[in-house]
Amino acid sequence: MTEAVKAPSAKQAFLEPLIANNPVMIQVLGICSSLAVTSSMKTAFVMGIAVTAVTAFSNLAVSCVRKLIPGSVRIIAQMTIIASLVILVDQILRAFAYDLSKQLSVYVGLIITNCIVMGRTEGFALKYPPLSSFMDGLGNGLGYLMVLCVVGTIREIFGAGTWFGMTVFQTVNNGGWYVPCGLLVMPPCGFFLLGSLIWLVKTFRKDLQEPREYDTHREDY
Amino acid sequence: MFKLNKDSVLGTFVIIIGFCLVCSVLVSSAVVALNPYKAAAIANDRQSNILKVSGFDVEGSIAATYKKHIEAHLLDVDSGALADNGLSQEKIDGYDFKSLGKKPETSEAIAKDDDTAGIRTRSKLMPIYFSKDDQGKVVRVILPFYGQGLWSTIYGYVAVDPKDGNTIKGVTFYDHGETPGLGGEIENPRWQALWVDKHVNDQSGAYKFGIMKHADHQGAGKDFQVDALSGATLTSRGVDGFSHYWLGKAYQPFLKNLSKGEIIK
Repeated sequence: MTEAVKAPSAKQAFLEPLIANNPVMIQVLGICSSLAVTSSMKTAFVMGIAVTAVTAFSNLAVSCVRKLIPGSVRIIAQMTIIASLVILVDQILRAFAYDLSKQLSVYVGLIITNCIVMGRTEGFALKYPPLSSFMDGLGNGLGYLMVLCVVGTIREIFGAGTWFGMTVFQTVNNGGWYVPCGLLVMPPCGFFLLGSLIWLVKTFRKDLQEPREYDTHREDY
Repeated sequence: MFKLNKDSVLGTFVIIIGFCLVCSVLVSSAVVALNPYKAAAIANDRQSNILKVSGFDVEGSIAATYKKHIEAHLLDVDSGALADNGLSQEKIDGYDFKSLGKKPETSEAIAKDDDTAGIRTRSKLMPIYFSKDDQGKVVRVILPFYGQGLWSTIYGYVAVDPKDGNTIKGVTFYDHGETPGLGGEIENPRWQALWVDKHVNDQSGAYKFGIMKHADHQGAGKDFQVDALSGATLTSRGVDGFSHYWLGKAYQPFLKNLSKGEIIK
C-alpha cells in the first residue's frame, strides 16, 4: 500500500464528522432511517446509539483486517462484519430494552443497509489504521445521533407535547391546553426539518457550501 | 511456509470462508447466550400488560405480583369451555397464539363475512387469565384480542367482569405500529378509561358494543358506545372491527357460559 495520503490523526478523524463532514447534513447519507425513527426522542436516541456502536466497531474490525481482505470481494467482507454487529446490537436491545426494540422494529435490522456504516468502512477503514478508524466511526455515529436528536426534539415536543416521554406541554388529549401538530409526527415532516437543518448549517458555515455545478447567467453552454 | 496470495481465487475463498466462520460463531454464541434474557424480557412485558388490566397494582416485582394474582387457563374458543389439558401454568402462560394461529393443525379459518378483525385465521385455543384477589376470588377475566388497525396488527387485552360476563372492566393495547399521536393514542389511559363499565351485549344477548364517532353519552347507547379517536378514523375502525369479532363472535360462547356461572363456580 502506498503512503500517498497522510492518515488523519485520531482526533481529526473524530471531530471532522461532527459538523464539518456530518454524515447526514453534509454527506446526506442515512436519510431514510433518520426520518423514520425521529418521531420520538427515545427511539431516536437509541437508534443513534445503535448506529454509533455499529459504525465504530465495524470500522475497527474492518481496519484490523484491511490488509487481509481480497479486493474483489471487499464489499461482501465488509457486509459480513456489519451484519454480524447489527445482529448483535439487535439481540442486545431485545434482551435488555424489549420495549424500545419493539418500537424500533425493523429499523435496527436496517442499520445493515444504512449508507453511513458502509460508506465509512469502504471510504475510511479500508485505508487507515484501527485507532483512527474507530474514532472516525465514533464521530460519524455521534454526528448522526446529534442530527437525530435535534430533529427528534422538535418533532416530539411540538408533535406530541413530550420529550423523552416526559410531558413538556400538557396536550388537549390529556386535559391540557396544547393542541399537538399532527403533521410533525408524520414522516414527511422529518424531511422538512432535515432540509431546514442542512440549510441552516450551510448558511452559518459558508465554507461547507459546495461550488455551483453550473451558472444560470452564462449563455454559452 | 506456504504463502497465500489474498487476491488469488483460492485466497479469496479461504479468507471469505474464514471470515464467515468467525462471524457466524460470534453471532450464534451471542444469540444463545442472550436467549434467557430475551425470554425473560418477553414474559415480563406480557405480565406487566396483563397486570395493567387486572385491577391490581404492581407490588414489589412484576413477576411476584403476577404470580400472586393471575391464573392462566386455556380456552377452547368454539365451545367456550376451559381446556387446560393438564398443561403447566408456565406453558399456558406463554401460549403462543400468534404463531399457532397461523398453523393449519392448531388454527381455524374465519369465514370472510365474519372476519371484521382482518386476521383470516385464529388459534383454536386461546390463553385467558383469571385475576384473583387476596382471598382467591376471581374478580376479572382477561381475554387477549387482536386485529388489523391502519398500519399494523394491534394486540391487546380486555378484562371482563366474571359475574355477568358482559361488563368491560379494562382494556390495554400492547403491540401496534400506529402513528404516534394519532392512532397511537389507543395507548392513552384516558381513552382506555372510556371502555370501563361498557357492556358487550344488550339485554337480549345481542352484541352492541361499538367505537364510533359521536358516541351516545346520555341516551340508550351510553352503556355500549365509546368515542372514536379524533384524527385516527381508520385505527378506531380497526379496533371496533376486531372488538366486534372477538367479543361479539369468538368469545360469545365463553361469555355466555361465564354469565351462566359454568366457568367459575
